[in-house]
Amino acid sequence: MAQLAKTQIVKPAKRRRWKGDGGWAYAFIAVALIVYAMFTAYPVVSAFIISFQEYRPLGSVFIGFDNYVNTFQDSLFWKSIKNTIVYTVLTVPVSLFLSFAVAILIIPLKKGLQTTFKAVYYLPAVASGVALSVVWLWIFDPMTSGVLNQLLAVFGISNQNWLGSSASAMFSLVLMAWLSSHGTSIIIYLAALLGIDGSYYEAAELDGASFLQKLWYIVIPCLKPTTLFLLVTGVIGSFQVFQNAYLMTGGGPDNATTMVGLLIFNNAFKYFEFGEAAAQSLILTVIIAGISLIQFKFLGNDVEY
Amino acid sequence: MKRKMQVLAFVLALFMLLTALSACGSKSGNSENSNGGNTGNDASPTADAGKSEAKDTITALLPPVSGHYQSNFKQMESDFNALYPNLTLKIEPASWEDMTQKLDTQVNAGSPPDIAFIGSDGISKYVQQGMLMDIKDTATTEMVSDFDPAPLEYMKNGEGLFGFPAYMEVHAIGGNKEYLEAAGIDWKNVQKNGWTFEEFREAIKKGVVKEGDVTKRYGFVFATSGVTAKDYLNILIKNAGMPASFNKDLKYAYTSKNYLEVLKAVRLMIDDGSMPKELSSVDAGKRWNMFLTGQTMITGKGLATFENNANQNNEKLKANDGSAVQGSIPVEYIVLPVPTFLGEEPVSSTVVDGYVTFRGKKEPTAEHKANVVKAAYFLASGKVAATTNNDLFAAHISKSGREAAESMTVNRNPDNVAAVETLLSHANPARPDIPVELGAKAIKMEDEVIIPKLQALLANEISPEEMYEAVKAAAIKNFGEDGIVND
Repeated sequence: MAQLAKTQIVKPAKRRRWKGDGGWAYAFIAVALIVYAMFTAYPVVSAFIISFQEYRPLGSVFIGFDNYVNTFQDSLFWKSIKNTIVYTVLTVPVSLFLSFAVAILIIPLKKGLQTTFKAVYYLPAVASGVALSVVWLWIFDPMTSGVLNQLLAVFGISNQNWLGSSASAMFSLVLMAWLSSHGTSIIIYLAALLGIDGSYYEAAELDGASFLQKLWYIVIPCLKPTTLFLLVTGVIGSFQVFQNAYLMTGGGPDNATTMVGLLIFNNAFKYFEFGEAAAQSLILTVIIAGISLIQFKFLGNDVEY
Repeated sequence: MKRKMQVLAFVLALFMLLTALSACGSKSGNSENSNGGNTGNDASPTADAGKSEAKDTITALLPPVSGHYQSNFKQMESDFNALYPNLTLKIEPASWEDMTQKLDTQVNAGSPPDIAFIGSDGISKYVQQGMLMDIKDTATTEMVSDFDPAPLEYMKNGEGLFGFPAYMEVHAIGGNKEYLEAAGIDWKNVQKNGWTFEEFREAIKKGVVKEGDVTKRYGFVFATSGVTAKDYLNILIKNAGMPASFNKDLKYAYTSKNYLEVLKAVRLMIDDGSMPKELSSVDAGKRWNMFLTGQTMITGKGLATFENNANQNNEKLKANDGSAVQGSIPVEYIVLPVPTFLGEEPVSSTVVDGYVTFRGKKEPTAEHKANVVKAAYFLASGKVAATTNNDLFAAHISKSGREAAESMTVNRNPDNVAAVETLLSHANPARPDIPVELGAKAIKMEDEVIIPKLQALLANEISPEEMYEAVKAAAIKNFGEDGIVND
């Protein structure tokens, strides 16, 4: 009798747990978890396994650490890492500065005009990267008829072999990064700027603060979490850069623009050396994770989320 | 209401997940029928061989080989089905840009199409992966003997035959008839007897037209941007006693002193002012534009089909058609041979593309293999080959193709036809004896050392000697001191 009473008490409790939000939460999380497991975790685990193999569709062979050893002994890998670091150092801070400056210029405008500028700056993010590259190839035309060369001619400078010379190829890719695709960062900065309490500005104005003082003492500190976020994601994106080098220079001349992403792509899809490509991808992952940790350690200490 | 919304949201999320999962696991309807040879008959390969009337589907991944090629797919499928009523040819079109990526993805997933149209230089890559189907034992004698031996050799690797050739194109150079004659070049004689580098160098100097310090017309412009740099060097070194990356003794050839001489010649032509100093950035589209707009006398590389392209643009100019190349002039395209170096015999650089046969993860049945061979032969011979090659202005390389082409008319310059025939007479022979591993190493070295260094040489950032030393050092690293030519 007592047992029966116990069962009667337990059963409705179980049903309540499922009926409540907890059960649904688990169900929804499960969907995302399965997608994550299939499309993120599984490929990463696969890449880890493949990195110890000589991959063949009809049966891979285990070769231990050979792919890692080959990678570390490959001078082109280190050159590509160096190129990627140079590209990152030159593009990410300038891109952040430009995005910030544009956001500051847009924020005082009326809502309609603000939206127009947001759309204009976001447009390159919507446009196909291939189409943009074609436009840039036209701009970087090395002959005297090239757009950029015609601009130089106005100042009496002879035509430059923008993408064909080791001296200017990397700069050309950097210039391309500087002048395009700031839309996402601008919108994030604008959202963050709108989130700053207006009372700070009012107090500063009462104290007679100038525009630059308000920028330095209010805006920049308040935007630090946003800047850190954009910096970390920017560095990660920059380390994974592939498209620009692939479409604009193919990594040349003399591997001056071979980025590590392009090298991995070539090893995987040009030479079918998936094992080495997987090893290089994992090494890149470790490098990116290390740099991100350093960024958080030095820049994220006083950031509140 | 809240519960209903939760259920609805969950169902939608689940639907999204199932869509993603089904996309991952989906197989095209025909893939079951194709590569694995699972044609609904699960008998053993030997037993299947006899059942030639069983239904089967053959898949083919084909790019726009010629201008009208892809628009003929429906006709090709129905013609094949009329010939073999039990067989279905299912053609999947792909752009040239997508072709390699699509094929590579399918190959690496273990489910390639039965047939793909690729360059014969790609065969070794897929052989190394074990994903090509050797049809040597399945192709009939009639099929094999239909093709000219030279192009057919390109479809071989080691002892295996991995498809049928569609055409054999000569990589030549092309000249503007008016400019050649203005520069006093006897192009008819050159077409017949060829020219040495020294003669060529003088000729392209004469082709240069300057206004003050500005060059209005160059003597010679070759596309060298990116991977096209490979074509430029390859076309030259073949005429300098190095027809392949390995000599007959399988020693790496590009460490020969002749290689250095060719590199010096590459630099000389730019330093002379006969070629633009920005050559390293000139891509295929740019140099063709320069040719049609009168900015160069000779262009490279030149394929026979360029005569067709030039003729079409001439027609547009005549009809005042706005789609003609902006700023272009009427051009009569003349096929010219590549100059020879250091007294070496001329060797024409050729490209053989064709219908390559693939296998899936499962061993194909003998019956399916035979059906794939029928489809590959159908595409590479007879009416299909004749139509395609005529469209490309390419020479016919099969007897059935030549016969089918007899009734078709092509508007070609007879001098160019004869010049191409002469070039084909000393076409670079195929080298199926080069082991796959050696070939793969040479290709990677070409991509990672030769092309980057050539780009630097063209940009005047390194000397020919520095490039030669870099290539030699990489060759020793890859093939050893004893594995290279030391002359």
